[in-house]
Amino acid sequence: MAAVKELGKSLVQPLLAVVIGLLTGALVIAAVGESIVGTYQEMWKGAFGSFYFFTSTLARATPIMLIALGLSLAFRAGVFNLGAEGQMVLGAISATLVAVYLPAPGMIKLVAAILTGMAVGGFWALIPGFMEARFRIPLLISTLLFNYIAVLFASYLVTEPFRDRTGSAALSQTVMLDKSVWLPKLFAGMSVHAGFILAIIAALVLFWVIRYTPFGYEVKMLGQNPLFAQYGGINRIKVMLTGMFASGGLAGLAGTVEVLGAHYRFVDGALTVPNFAWTGLMATLLANSNPIGIIITSILLAAFQTGAMGVERNTDVPLELASVIQAVLILFISAKFSYDWWKKRKTKGGESHGAA
Amino acid sequence: MELLDWTLVSSTIRMVTPILLAALGGALCARVGIFNVGLEGLILVGAFSAIVGNHFTGNLFLAILIAALASVLFSLLFAYMTIRMKANEIVVGVAINFLALGLTTFALRAVFGVKGAFYDKDMAGLPRLDIPVLKDIPVLGDILSGHSPLVYVAFIAAILLYVFFYRTVTGFRVLAVGLNPVAARSLGLKVTGLQVLAIVMCGALCGVAGAQLSLGQVTMFSEGMTAGRGFIALVAMMMGQSHPLGILASSLLFGLMDALSIRLQGFSLPTQITSMLPYVLTILAMFFLKDKGQGSSNQQSTR
Repeated sequence: MAAVKELGKSLVQPLLAVVIGLLTGALVIAAVGESIVGTYQEMWKGAFGSFYFFTSTLARATPIMLIALGLSLAFRAGVFNLGAEGQMVLGAISATLVAVYLPAPGMIKLVAAILTGMAVGGFWALIPGFMEARFRIPLLISTLLFNYIAVLFASYLVTEPFRDRTGSAALSQTVMLDKSVWLPKLFAGMSVHAGFILAIIAALVLFWVIRYTPFGYEVKMLGQNPLFAQYGGINRIKVMLTGMFASGGLAGLAGTVEVLGAHYRFVDGALTVPNFAWTGLMATLLANSNPIGIIITSILLAAFQTGAMGVERNTDVPLELASVIQAVLILFISAKFSYDWWKKRKTKGGESHGAA
Repeated sequence: MELLDWTLVSSTIRMVTPILLAALGGALCARVGIFNVGLEGLILVGAFSAIVGNHFTGNLFLAILIAALASVLFSLLFAYMTIRMKANEIVVGVAINFLALGLTTFALRAVFGVKGAFYDKDMAGLPRLDIPVLKDIPVLGDILSGHSPLVYVAFIAAILLYVFFYRTVTGFRVLAVGLNPVAARSLGLKVTGLQVLAIVMCGALCGVAGAQLSLGQVTMFSEGMTAGRGFIALVAMMMGQSHPLGILASSLLFGLMDALSIRLQGFSLPTQITSMLPYVLTILAMFFLKDKGQGSSNQQSTR
């Protein structure tokens, strides 16, 4: 019961923010001289208008959700992991290579690919975590830098050694995966795939971990009051590193399921162009790091994006309508969210450390 | 085609300008304890406003001014959210980037009625300055002369910022705020005011960076034309340890790698490896220089 109440409480704020975001969207639609009602109708249709569009929204929400879940864990432990993009891409390319080259039957290959994607994403996140723990190099900066290295390295792998040279396409991409390692679609002819189920399972597991396990409690304490947590005997470094590994692993899984369930090959730029990583960050913030809330906010943000695609197809309003609405939403949420946090800090005796 | 020649240096200098300007802006923020991930969006707003200004006034100076003002306006939003509303600066920065991308696209539609990019063949770009005596000196002339005025502005800005930080009272105060806001406040410094000042100056620099992008390198605006330069500026700022002269050096390195990777394409060598180098070097630099000029960067560690 308490969980339901907490969830409800954490959803009031986002809903209000959505309304304000939509109002701002209305302003910019009016500025380009289009019908506000008509545009939003198209947006609704593009996101939920038919079963096909609805499943496309869910498919788009899948990587966003997984990334958001990973970030929420790091966030709860009080570390800002800005490296989801690199962790996702590196996980995806490793999983692709396993899926293409591992000499094993389909089912084993599929499982191996998924595990590899998660492990590589996790280890890639662990390096900045280790650098922070051992050398006090700020995680915030190192994770950001690691993105570039990972994305460029993956790009190198698919333009040079592992490029598909069979087709005439000039695209940098690996060869197509064998059908036996494709993640099954949930409905025939629809774009949502089994990765969505994995994402939902991940959300439920994370919810359980945070609420009912000692590790979840340690993460929570560390995030809320690091000094007290350390005084209470929590090994900050251990929790931080575990959090980073899980966070990166989920990001790696996000990239992996996107490849195995949607693209069926690693295409250079296909994971970075849709901005999954930053959208995932937004979904976490909107849901206030609540795993169940993240299911809803990821679908919401994905709906804005697929809806905006529908808008662009059928009206003269550009796709970037989604960016405007999302940005306003986040600005509104961030003020309130941090205000709460800051207030909590203040009443605890005004510790002056930490980012305001 | 030679791999290394003097035109490479010349094109490095041209490419580096927007990054340098924005990185200096980022350093100002970092020095008052604010990590500004919104540089990308601020540059984009500047790039668009410069084209709008040029289109409607026909005056390049006014166009640059309008670019700077528009970005300052956006940076005020950043300042309001981070300082007044105590919102997390990373989150606000991310939101600023999305907002800038969305609003410039809509404004492109609303003002010019076009989609994707705006290009006007009658529009004048920034002129190239030929510096009288310098341009006749063989090698130096090729390298240093014939750039857009904003290229020179960028390099002068780096030197001015150095003077500001280390030779003026306000500059010292800005540094004090970054080192220890509580101590600075107890000394009677107007911490909030200085932070806003730094953010506004950052906005102006990013606006000029945008103007160089849309009027100096090309004479057009296209959606999302910053293409990650704001984040590269952020990295250049970190690598330069938020020190103006350090940033000058690190920006030049990024520019060189950029120019080099274009050149390498002609040699069918993997460009990704050269593009990767600055980031690897930045990480290595952090191992050695981690105790200097951290700005807000150490806040994360203490939490």
